[in-house]
Amino acid sequence: MRLSHKLVALAAGTALVLTGCGRDEGTPGDNGGSPAGEAVNTAAAKGTLEVWAMGAEGEKLPELVKEFTAAHPDIKVNVTPVPWDSAHDKFVNSITAGTTPDVAMVGTTWMGEFVGMDALDPTPSSIKLDGFFPGAVDTTMVDGTSYAVPWYVETRMAYYRTDVADKAGVTEVPTDQAGFKDMAAKMKQQEGSKWGISLQPGRTGSWQTVLPFAWSRGAEIASDDAYTFDTPEMVAAVDYYGSYFKDGIADPNPPEGQTEADFVSGAVPMFISGPWMMSLVEDLAAEDGDDAFADKYDVAPIPTANGAESASFLGGSNLAVFKDTESRDAAWTLVEWLSQPETQITWYGLTSDLPSLQAAWDDDTLAKDEKLAKFGVALKTAKVPPTFPSFEQVIESFDNEIEKVAKQGLSGAEAMKAVQAQADSIGTGQ
Amino acid sequence: MSTPTAATTPQEAAVPTRTSRTGGARLEERAGWLLTLPFLLLFVVFTAWPVIQSVFFSFTDIRNKDLRTPFAVDFVWFEQYAKAFADPIFRQAAFNTGYFVVVGVPLTIIVALAAAIALNSGISRFRAFFRLGFYTPVITSIVAVAVVWRFLLHPDSGLVNTVLGWVGIDGPNWLGSTTWSMPSLIAMAVWRNFGTGMIIFLAGLQAVPTQLLEASAIDGANAWQRFLNVVLPIIRPTVLFVMVTTTIGYLQFFEEPFVMTKGGPLNSTISASMYTYQQFSFGNYGFAAALSYLIFIVIAIITAIQFKFLSEKGD
Repeated sequence: MRLSHKLVALAAGTALVLTGCGRDEGTPGDNGGSPAGEAVNTAAAKGTLEVWAMGAEGEKLPELVKEFTAAHPDIKVNVTPVPWDSAHDKFVNSITAGTTPDVAMVGTTWMGEFVGMDALDPTPSSIKLDGFFPGAVDTTMVDGTSYAVPWYVETRMAYYRTDVADKAGVTEVPTDQAGFKDMAAKMKQQEGSKWGISLQPGRTGSWQTVLPFAWSRGAEIASDDAYTFDTPEMVAAVDYYGSYFKDGIADPNPPEGQTEADFVSGAVPMFISGPWMMSLVEDLAAEDGDDAFADKYDVAPIPTANGAESASFLGGSNLAVFKDTESRDAAWTLVEWLSQPETQITWYGLTSDLPSLQAAWDDDTLAKDEKLAKFGVALKTAKVPPTFPSFEQVIESFDNEIEKVAKQGLSGAEAMKAVQAQADSIGTGQ
Repeated sequence: MSTPTAATTPQEAAVPTRTSRTGGARLEERAGWLLTLPFLLLFVVFTAWPVIQSVFFSFTDIRNKDLRTPFAVDFVWFEQYAKAFADPIFRQAAFNTGYFVVVGVPLTIIVALAAAIALNSGISRFRAFFRLGFYTPVITSIVAVAVVWRFLLHPDSGLVNTVLGWVGIDGPNWLGSTTWSMPSLIAMAVWRNFGTGMIIFLAGLQAVPTQLLEASAIDGANAWQRFLNVVLPIIRPTVLFVMVTTTIGYLQFFEEPFVMTKGGPLNSTISASMYTYQQFSFGNYGFAAALSYLIFIVIAIITAIQFKFLSEKGD
């Protein structure tokens, strides 16, 4: 008997709880689509700012901020370094708990998600975004509104060994995708080469190598409000990428962390990566007693097809201000100061982070380095994936399918059909 | 962040019910409640409530953006569970976890028992040194272990393939092939975990009376027969204990693929826990909670089966 009493009570209790549940009508993340945030009063800004930054940036930022606090004695800045591994979860938890910092470095692919959680303050109209690389500005835009300022950028280019290319009779890196593949095939045939080019055979982050090839032949993975993975252009791009593995030009099972070593030894004389690889390969060669390695390699833009423009992937990080900040004026003052050309050049000296402002690239520190200047050119046309909140999850399935293309010879059509089905079931998350 | 698989069962505070209570007993009862109150409060706030909440999550369509308003979500009842069963990657993860448990648990127990018997009777010199050596992997950080194993399993310059090369075998790309990736991880897990079982078996073997062994030897039983008919029945509870704890640990297997293969190649080493973890980081809290409870239910069932078949007969 008593059990039934309990059951009745439980059922009644559950019913009570249930009536308190259910989603509100109306779309989440809809904030009226304000074009820009309110203006900021930088002159009288004061307060204490909590700033989060990841990796090397978190370590070096306090040094840079000293200059800022000297100029703005009323603003105190505390920098908290956050390890990259746990950064994303730490941000999400702090947004949920309402314990966000005032200003933070935000990875470009997180923008959509954080804005979807209604955490970021729209960029005030007083901050002009037209001097930045257009791709970098795109990373700050969610649903037509900017929520951050680009801080530093990077892009991917094709690295190749000039000495091996000479032996292969390649004087100029072909700018068309078919020619580029021929070059990689020739590189493989040289003495000491095991493979022509190192390409990531799927798994996390491989989209950053695949998408530049796709963009450079006119494919797009998303429209304004939906994913479009199964377009003929995209399928052709994935087939092209897969053909490197099918034809034995790229290793479908490369050992981990050997890219730099294989490049220096000449075993794999080409790869595609970002600007940080320059110092990595040169340092590695110097360890082996080769101090002139810088003359043995060069970088080239991503090759194109179908008459499209070469478009690499633009990565990096933005600076965002969180909605819950109590010193909004001071927060945006700091962000604005960090995005001045002279600050960005000082910052480049501290961290080798490439400036997001085009004007900073005219400075001698960057302009006189020939390879770096090529990155500067590539950045002008580099593109970014859509800032949909669900992007990270959708692209995971893309990476998984690319792995099947590389290792099992799955066709581009099949792979993209699977990704599109997954993308449709997940949705854009907006 | 770990998956909230509740491995604890709420302990009901047993209240002695008496037909005729004296005042003293009632006072004593009240004092008992008062004394357990701090623990109960902590337990309710930090264990019971999160468990109830995660059950609630698993029946809703909650995502990370709903966390500020956790009650403003829709009930979807068993939709998340249905989605899990229909998800090909989760099915693959469940299969991988099963593979890992079915092969890994017996191997771990056999190696642990063999090491324990060797230390107990075979090896007399340097016993402490060996015991420490076998136990070291258990307390070594998985990250350090992963670095060493990656070196060992490297397809070209790794020790394993180099040794195989001496005898003319062309070793596979251990972590890069779908066939060999899981066996590689199982080997690593066995090596990492058998030390725990070994220490417990050593304690269990102390309980085997030497008189019994001597008597059976006089009766003409050889070493294998003595082990089978004398030692094994006596250490049966120890075997059960090691088996249950190892199985629970292996069903939640996560660290090895996380540091070694990231679940690859081609999802051949992704485990159920790891897939759950990924879903949490994508913010699909409802789905991830449902996955966690599926893992929990499987652990509960398998543990119950093991107890039924292995516990003392006549209990």
